[in-house]
Amino acid sequence: MDFYYGLAQIIGVHTLLGLSAYMVLLTGQVSLAQAGFAAVGAYVAAMLTVLAGMHLFPALLIAGIAAATIACAVGFPALRVRGLMLVIATLAFGEAVRLFFFNFDYQIAKGEVRVGPLGGEGFRQIRYFPENGWTTFEVMLLIWAIVAMVMAALWWMDRSRTGAVLRAVGEDELAAQSVGINLTAVKVSAMAAGGFIAGLSGGIYAHYTTHIEHANFGVVLATFAIAYPILGGLSSVFGTVIAVVFIQGVLIEGLRFMGDWRNLLFGALIVLAMNLRPHGLLDPRSLAMLRRLVGRA
Amino acid sequence: MAHDLAQNTVDGLMTGSAYAMLALGFTLIFGVMRRLNLSYGPSIMIGAYLGTLVHLQFGMGAAVVALVTVLGAVAAGFYVERLCFAPMRGQAATASMVASFAIWMQLEELATLLLPRHSYPFPALIARPPFEIAGILIRADRLLTLGAAIAAMLALWLLVHRSRFGLALRATARDRATARHLGIDVDRIGLIAFLGASALGGLAGMLVIAADQQITPMFGMWATFKGLVAMMLGGLGSIPGAVIGGLLLGVVEAHGQWFFGPQLRDLLVYALLFLCLVLRAGIGAGVPSAERRI
Repeated sequence: MDFYYGLAQIIGVHTLLGLSAYMVLLTGQVSLAQAGFAAVGAYVAAMLTVLAGMHLFPALLIAGIAAATIACAVGFPALRVRGLMLVIATLAFGEAVRLFFFNFDYQIAKGEVRVGPLGGEGFRQIRYFPENGWTTFEVMLLIWAIVAMVMAALWWMDRSRTGAVLRAVGEDELAAQSVGINLTAVKVSAMAAGGFIAGLSGGIYAHYTTHIEHANFGVVLATFAIAYPILGGLSSVFGTVIAVVFIQGVLIEGLRFMGDWRNLLFGALIVLAMNLRPHGLLDPRSLAMLRRLVGRA
Repeated sequence: MAHDLAQNTVDGLMTGSAYAMLALGFTLIFGVMRRLNLSYGPSIMIGAYLGTLVHLQFGMGAAVVALVTVLGAVAAGFYVERLCFAPMRGQAATASMVASFAIWMQLEELATLLLPRHSYPFPALIARPPFEIAGILIRADRLLTLGAAIAAMLALWLLVHRSRFGLALRATARDRATARHLGIDVDRIGLIAFLGASALGGLAGMLVIAADQQITPMFGMWATFKGLVAMMLGGLGSIPGAVIGGLLLGVVEAHGQWFFGPQLRDLLVYALLFLCLVLRAGIGAGVPSAERRI
């Protein structure tokens, strides 16, 4: 059973990461910096619980705020670039963050061992959950409680005026500006909110794996993060969840029996999905159909 | 001190010439397609792995290996174009990017299935010790790379600016819809540009790997990154810009490594790239000409 709990943990953390990219993508910004924000969250949260002995919840909150601050700092210069230039600029930023942690040492003695991040070796011994007697099941519940809260917040936001403003900016910046929407405020806050969610995801990830290193937060994770909402479609937060389950659950875990050949099929299936549904697995048409089916047209 | 600076600069220019060739291929694809091909490096790597396979299995020499590498890269490029770019015309640019990322993972897996060890030897093109000019050491194979990069730039520039095909290519890059109305087969132009870029990339990859005399599965990611960064540093979508960007990247890396060590070197490069993008776009805001030209 623990295997399935573990899988649910992975899916939960990746869902958060996908939702952070979804948030930014709503305003039309393709960001490859989400893995970098997650790295900030992971290191900050782990340092707070391990080095400062803080409780997990305030540590996660501070990690999210730290990542949001960094995201805000990226958001302002990133306003000046769009399209492909933004993709590359955020990619460069994400890689710069990763390389920063590659060179980051801050260790203190705790008992007879030294703990803390140590450059290329990473940050070992993040033992908050085992030290406080959390079972895998409880950790999974915690992760999904956070996922549910974030999803509910995004779902509510999507149905409010804020969601309409975000989508307006994503659809057509010029039109949005001409009806009096403040582009700077909208794009930077979307970036900051995305950074906060990515920071949460990183913070939880650090605690359930107990060991993080810079290589966890490379371009592969960044591309996965942006792939989830693109593959799932931007019509609803559930598209992202479906995409994460499809990729992490079906394609990665489900195809494990194929061994070395897994990635070949993995690539083919994603290409097939993008060819058949360029606007996402859950595009507006299928969403409308689902709504009719449950009688809420 | 002055000597070190000069040696670093020369070394940087030599390495940078390989980056320049990768950036030229990226520029060609981006100029026509307006899409980001993340599989560019991995498809070059497939070519290089096929070349290595020929070298190991049949003991072929450098010339045959080079030919197989370039042809393999073109074949892999064809596969990528058909799967990720040809079916997704119109507005779905991010869908192409995600699909090309998936193909990247596929190609990397294919490479490790072909040759499962971590690294393999690759035949050197010129096996002779470096020579010295005015106290500066120069490797012959690196010099060849620099020559190839300059030749490729000139050939590409002539093709794009002085031929009928180039005219059609520029028209497609400038305005796809109008080019189509004028009777240009824009899909065919796109495919040819893609295959040309793959051949150029295959050549660049072969020169880099032959100079290193070994190949690892990390090469694909490396090539994508270096080509992308060099293209961006040189200003998006211009042929001389790609070469200048590549050479600049090489020189910055060489000096960065000398002064700060290999880890901070990469950090420096990414920070520079971020600044370059943000500042340049600020200066050129509302003047899309640099992005429109090829």
